[in-house]
Amino acid sequence: MPNVDKTIDTDTLVLEFDEALYPKDAIYGAAYIFIDRCYVHLDRPSPSRVSVRMKLKPGVERELGELAGEFENELLGQAWRRQIVEENRQLIEQVTTQALAGAAGPPGLDDLLAMDIDDETAFEDPLGIAMSWEDKYKKKGSDVKMKAGDEASSEPSEDGGSVPADKH
Amino acid sequence: MTELRFRADLYSGFAVDAAVKVYADYAKFELEQKDGVYFVKLTSTGDADEAMIAEEFSNYALGTTIEQHRTGMG
Repeated sequence: MPNVDKTIDTDTLVLEFDEALYPKDAIYGAAYIFIDRCYVHLDRPSPSRVSVRMKLKPGVERELGELAGEFENELLGQAWRRQIVEENRQLIEQVTTQALAGAAGPPGLDDLLAMDIDDETAFEDPLGIAMSWEDKYKKKGSDVKMKAGDEASSEPSEDGGSVPADKH
Repeated sequence: MTELRFRADLYSGFAVDAAVKVYADYAKFELEQKDGVYFVKLTSTGDADEAMIAEEFSNYALGTTIEQHRTGMG
């Protein structure tokens, strides 16, 4: 069975689509575009197919074959737009969530006062106030290198500690 | 008398009811729902062409169904 069946009568056009290829949302979208110039009626001739009957309104001069082509183009556009939305839904939701979280900003004083602080949560530091400046802003890469350098250039002292190599 | 059929999986019952209210001044309506289909029998009560009332009624029901579907109410 073809994807699209087209029947043109004297003043009526009937298009029949496979719903697996053109979902109901896309058919709705295309039909809505045409209800200003046509009388549109939807039906379901079989479980997986939807038919669209269109009849030109009085005073509208159009060729029905041309109208069928326009409807099919619109339907394809609607189906494609729907697929793009589905593919990007997760990304859109993620960006929206991040934007809302960012708009809320860091917790204020009132939020901190409203927190339920007990023995287990007393040492939580959501604003990073308890962190030292060195811990907060030190560069991790240079810190590792510096430590590695210190170990290489030091040896154990008599009292069990280490002294720099240039002291000997 | 003209009979229209609207499949319940394609048309919203709310939209069909809304269309009946809008066109109540132009026609008399009888509604029935059976096997997933809304049957609407309409008879023109004035000078307006019954076929045209039926077509306009059908368009109104479809437009309202789509608008409801887009707003997540359908």
